[in-house]
Amino acid sequence: MTALNVPAFAMDISPSKPSASEARPLTTVPARATSGPGGSSAPVGATLIDIDHLNFFYGASQALHGINLQIEEKKVTAFIGPSGCGKSTLLRCLNRMNDLIEGTRVAGGKIKIRGVDIYDPTVDVIELRKRVGMVFQKSNPFPKSIYENITYGLRLQGRSNKADLDAVVEKSLRGAALWDEVKDRLNSSGLGLSGGQQQRLCIARAIAVEPEVILMDEPCAALDPIATVKVEELIQSLRERFTIVIVTHNMQQAARCSDKTAFFYMGKLIEYADTRNIFTKPSNPQTEAYVSGRFG
Amino acid sequence: MNAPDRHVFQAQANNARRWEAAAVWVFRCATYSVLVCGALVFGKIVFQGSQTVFTTKAPFINTAFFTESPETLHVFEFEGKKMELGDRDFRALKAANPAAKDLRSETFVYSAGGIFPAIAGTVLLVIGSMTIALTLGVSAAIYLSEYATQGRLVTAIRISILNLAGVPSIVFGLFGVGLFVIFFDWNVSLLAGWFTLALMVLPVVITASEESLKSVPQGFREGSLALGATKWQTIRTNVLPYAMPGILTSSILGIARVAGETAPIMFTAAYAMRDKLPWEDLTHYSDFVFQGVMALPYHIYVVSSKIPQNEYTERVQYGTAFVFLMIVALIATTSILLRNHLRNRYRW
Amino acid sequence: MDAPRPAHDPEFLVNKTRVRVLGLSLDDAVKFFFGGNAFISVVVLTLITYFLFQEGFGFFGQNQRSLLTYRQAGLEYVDFIRTQESGHTALTRYISDLRLRQFNELTTVRKLDLEAANAQLAAFDEFSGQFSDGVDPLRGLLSDLTEQATAIKTKFLVAEDKKVERQQLVDAGKSVEAAAVKIDQIDFPAELKVLTGALPLYRTASAEFAAKLTAALAKAPTLSNPELATRLIRLRELTSDYIATFPATLRSLETWDYTRPVPWYQSATSFITGRQWLTASFWQDWYGIVPLFMGSLMVSLVALLIAVPFGVGAAIYINQMASAREQRIVKPCIEFISAFPSVVLGFFGIAVLGQALRLLSQQEWLAWVPGFPFSERLNILTAGCLLALIAVPTIFTLAEDALQNVPKAFKEASFALGATRLQTIIRIVVPASLSGIISAVLLGLGRVIGETMVVLLCAGNRIAIPDFTAGLAVITQPVHTMTGIIAQEMGEVVQGSIHYRALFVVGLVLFFLSLAINFLAQKIVRKYRISIG
Repeated sequence: MTALNVPAFAMDISPSKPSASEARPLTTVPARATSGPGGSSAPVGATLIDIDHLNFFYGASQALHGINLQIEEKKVTAFIGPSGCGKSTLLRCLNRMNDLIEGTRVAGGKIKIRGVDIYDPTVDVIELRKRVGMVFQKSNPFPKSIYENITYGLRLQGRSNKADLDAVVEKSLRGAALWDEVKDRLNSSGLGLSGGQQQRLCIARAIAVEPEVILMDEPCAALDPIATVKVEELIQSLRERFTIVIVTHNMQQAARCSDKTAFFYMGKLIEYADTRNIFTKPSNPQTEAYVSGRFG
Repeated sequence: MNAPDRHVFQAQANNARRWEAAAVWVFRCATYSVLVCGALVFGKIVFQGSQTVFTTKAPFINTAFFTESPETLHVFEFEGKKMELGDRDFRALKAANPAAKDLRSETFVYSAGGIFPAIAGTVLLVIGSMTIALTLGVSAAIYLSEYATQGRLVTAIRISILNLAGVPSIVFGLFGVGLFVIFFDWNVSLLAGWFTLALMVLPVVITASEESLKSVPQGFREGSLALGATKWQTIRTNVLPYAMPGILTSSILGIARVAGETAPIMFTAAYAMRDKLPWEDLTHYSDFVFQGVMALPYHIYVVSSKIPQNEYTERVQYGTAFVFLMIVALIATTSILLRNHLRNRYRW
Repeated sequence: MDAPRPAHDPEFLVNKTRVRVLGLSLDDAVKFFFGGNAFISVVVLTLITYFLFQEGFGFFGQNQRSLLTYRQAGLEYVDFIRTQESGHTALTRYISDLRLRQFNELTTVRKLDLEAANAQLAAFDEFSGQFSDGVDPLRGLLSDLTEQATAIKTKFLVAEDKKVERQQLVDAGKSVEAAAVKIDQIDFPAELKVLTGALPLYRTASAEFAAKLTAALAKAPTLSNPELATRLIRLRELTSDYIATFPATLRSLETWDYTRPVPWYQSATSFITGRQWLTASFWQDWYGIVPLFMGSLMVSLVALLIAVPFGVGAAIYINQMASAREQRIVKPCIEFISAFPSVVLGFFGIAVLGQALRLLSQQEWLAWVPGFPFSERLNILTAGCLLALIAVPTIFTLAEDALQNVPKAFKEASFALGATRLQTIIRIVVPASLSGIISAVLLGLGRVIGETMVVLLCAGNRIAIPDFTAGLAVITQPVHTMTGIIAQEMGEVVQGSIHYRALFVVGLVLFFLSLAINFLAQKIVRKYRISIG
C-alpha cells in the first residue's frame, strides 16, 4: 500500500528530475481555496487543481464561460449537468485532450495543477498527461493482450524490466478489481473482455502509470447496471490513492460515489458544493430543478 | 367486388410491378454483359496463351519460355522437312551441317526463345518503384491523417493529390523524360523508371493509406495520449500497426497498376530488346540502376505492334500476354481477397 | 505514510530531459519529415507543369521561325497553287467513285460481264480522262516551282546550320575556325524572283485548266440510273464552284509578299487550329493538334457512349437491386476487370476484336448499320469498345459510391409511401446521387482520354480529322490520338527539335485537359455534398 502512494514523479526515472521530497518553498495555496484546511502539509482536501475564470471556445462558439472551481486532492469530484453543458469539455481541458480537436482554444483564465498553469508554453503536455490520466466513455482497450495494455504506459517511459512490469500489472489489475477475473489469460486480447471488464481494464491501464489525477468521462455510460456497480465500487476504492474527477449524467451515481459535486448548465458552473448538500439542500433553484429531475 | 377469398393486401399484377420486373432484367443484363466481356478477353488470352506456356509432356511447363531471352525465329525447309529454329540453333545447324550452308529462311523477330529478361525487368521495376512510393506515400498519409490541421498548405497538398490522380500516365512519361532522363541525366534507366512509376502511383498509395489510418478508432489514439505517450509514440505503437494491413493491401492494387503501365516506362526505362540481363556485366554497382531493362508490358507492345500476326508470332504474343495478365491478375486478386478478409477481421 | 506533496510546485510538469536538436524535439522532427513527404505531391505537380512547359515552350518560338521560313522561302506561295491542284484531285476521286458505282450497277444489277461493262463505260472513261488530264499544265508548273522553293529553303537551312556551327566554334573559343565557316547570305528577293516571275505562266496555265474542265464537263455522258445522274449533277456544281475559286487563288498569288511579318500569335494559333499534323516531310512540317484532338475526342465519346449505360446500369443494379450474395461476387469481378493492363487489352484488340468486328460488319443482315461493312479493322469503334471496358469499372465504382451515399432515410420514406423499388430508384435514389454519377462519368472520361496503349494499338493511327460527312459511319474510320502520337513519336524524335517540343505541347494540352476534367468533377461532387446536407 505504501509503495502505491509514492508520488508519481518520485517514480519517474528521469535523472534530472529532482526528487519529490526535496525541499521546496512552501508557498501557500491561493486564498480562493474555499474548502479543506488548505496549506501544503495536508494532502487530503488540499486544492490540487485550481480552475480560474476559464473561458473555452470551439471555433467561434463559447463552450465554457468563466469557470471557477477548485478540485481537492484525494477526493472524488463529480461534474453533473444536462448534455452539452460543457462538463466533458472542462474535463478534457484538465489534461489538454482538447488540444487534439481542431479549432479549440482557451481564451482567458487558467488551470493550475499544483500551482503550475498547464496551458503555459513551458509545460510539457506529455508530462501532464502522465500525471493526469483519463478513462473514456467508450472503453478503448488497445487490440493487444491484457498484459500489454497495462504495461503500455510504462514501456513508453522506457521501463522494460520484466519482473518490474509483472508486479505493476498485478498491482494495477488488483487495484482495478480485475485481477481474479483475468489472471489466467493475461496474454489474451483485451478486446475479448466484456464491456465492464474492458472499462476496468482501461482504469487499470490508467493507474498503472501512477497518475495523481484520474479523469473519468462518463465511464459507465455504455455499461449495464451490474458492471456499473463494479466500476462504482472501484472508484470508491481508488479515492484513497488518487484524485478522481468524474463526469456523469447519472445523478444517483454522483450521489453514490462523489465527495463533491459541480453542477454545470449552458457552459457555466452553477453550483459547487459537497455532494450531500447539492442533493439535499441545493442553494440554486436551477440545481434543485435538475437534481429533482425536472429537466435535463 | 371483393371476392370472399381476397384480402386487402392481396398481391396483384399491375403495371408498376411489370415495369419493375422488366427494369431489373435490363439492369441485370447490363451488369452481366460487362462481366461476360471481361471473361471473354480473359478467357481468350488464357486459352491461347496457355498453349505456349504449358506443354503436354512433363514438366508441363514450357521452361524455356520462362528462362530464355527472346530470339529471332527461323522458319525453313531442310531435307524435305519444315523446321522452326531459334537464331542460335539455326546458326549451329548451319555451322554443323554443310548442306545447310546456303539455307534461306523466313525470319520473325522475338518469336523464339523466352521472355525471362522482360519478367526480370518488370519485377525490378515494380519492387523499386513500390519501395519509393510506399515510403513517400505512407509518410504523406501519416502527416495528413495524424498531424495536419486545416490550413492553406494542407489544402494545397490535398488538391495536388486529387489532381495528380487524374494525370494521364503518358504525361507522367513525358515528365519522367524531362526531369529524370534529361535534366538529371539518368538516361533511359531503372532509376528513371522507378521514380516515374512511383510518382504516378503516389496518389493511390496516399489515399489508400490515409483511409486505413483513418479507420483506426480515435479511442486508440486518445487512450495512448492520455497515458502520456508522445504523438509519435502513439502513431508508432498504436496506430500504424493496426493500419498496416490495410495500407499494404491497398498498395497491392497500386502494384498492379505499376506493373500494368506501359506508357510511363516507354521512354524512361524500357528497352525493346536487350541481350544482357540487368545483373550481368556491371563494372560498377551504380551501373545497376543506370541501365535500361526489358519489361513485360513494353514487350507485349513491341510484339503486338512491330511484328506481323501469324501462326509463328502468335505463340510469343499470346504467351507473353498470358504471363503478364496472370501476374497482374494474381496481384489484383490477392489484394481484393485480402481486403475483404481484413474488412471482416478488423471491426473495432 | 505519504511524503507530503507541496501544493505549489513550479517544477511540476516541466520536463527538461527531452532531447532537442536545432530547437526541434524528436516529435517535431518526425512531424516535419512526414510533412515534407506530404508536400512532395505539391512539388511533383509543380514539377510536371514546369517540365512540360520547359520542354514544350520552345516549340512556339521554333514554330514561329518555321512559319517565317515557310513564307520567306516561298513555300507559302507555291502552296496556293498546290491547294488548287489538290482541289482537282478531290474532284477526280469523286469521278472515280462515280465510275465504280456505275460499274457495280452494270455488273450486279444488269448482270453484264466485266468486258461488256467496261465497254459500256468507255464514254465515261474518256470524259474522266479528259477531266483529270486538264490539270497537267498546272501540275507541271507546280512541280517546277516546288523544286525551286525547296532549293531556297534548303539553302536557307544550310546557312542557319552554318551559323549555329560558327556560334558553337566561337563559344568553344576557336575563333579562327569560326571565321573559316562560310555562310551564304540568302538574298530572298532575288531568289523569290524565280517564283514570282512564274505568275504569267500560272495565269495562262490556270485559264487553260479552267477551260479544259469546262470542256470536259460539257461532254460528260449521261448516266441512266437516277441516283448516279444526280451525283453527276452534283459533280457539275462542285466543279463550277471549284473553278470559281481560281480568281481568289490568283489574287492571293498577286498580293503575296514574303516580307509580310508572321504575327507572334500565329505559331500558337497554327497549333491550336491546325488541321494537319505532318512531320518529317520534305516540304513543310505542320503541327496542328486538331486531328489528334478530334481523334481522342471521338474515341472517348464512343467509349463513353458504351460505358455509361453499362457502368451506371451495373452500379444501380448492384447497389439497389442485387442480393447481398450477388454483390459480394460481382463487385470484386468488376474490380478485377479494372486491373486488366491496357496493353493486354490493346493486344486483344489487334489480335481478336478488330478482326471480329470487321467480320461482323461484313454480315449481310447488318448492312443497314451506318459504316458497315468496313475494311479497316483498327478504327475508332475497335478502340472505343476496348476503352469502354476500361471505363466501365471506373464509372461503376464511383457511381456505386454515389448511390451508396444516398441516405437510407430517403429510400425508406419513399417505400413507406408505397412506392415500388423501381419508382424509388428513378424518383429518389438516382436524382439524389445524380451529381455523384455525373462526376463518375467525368472521371471515366478523364481515364479514357488519357489512356495510351489501347488507342496506340487499336485506333488505326491515321492522322486525319475524321470525315464527319460520313454521318454515323465516322466511327469506323481510323484516327490518331494525342496520347498515341506522343507514345509513337517520342521515341524517334531528336531531343530539342521542334517535333520533340511539339510532343511536349501535346502533353501540356493533355495535362490541362485532365486537370480541367478533374476540377469539374470535384466541383460537381462538392455541390452534391451540400445538396445532401
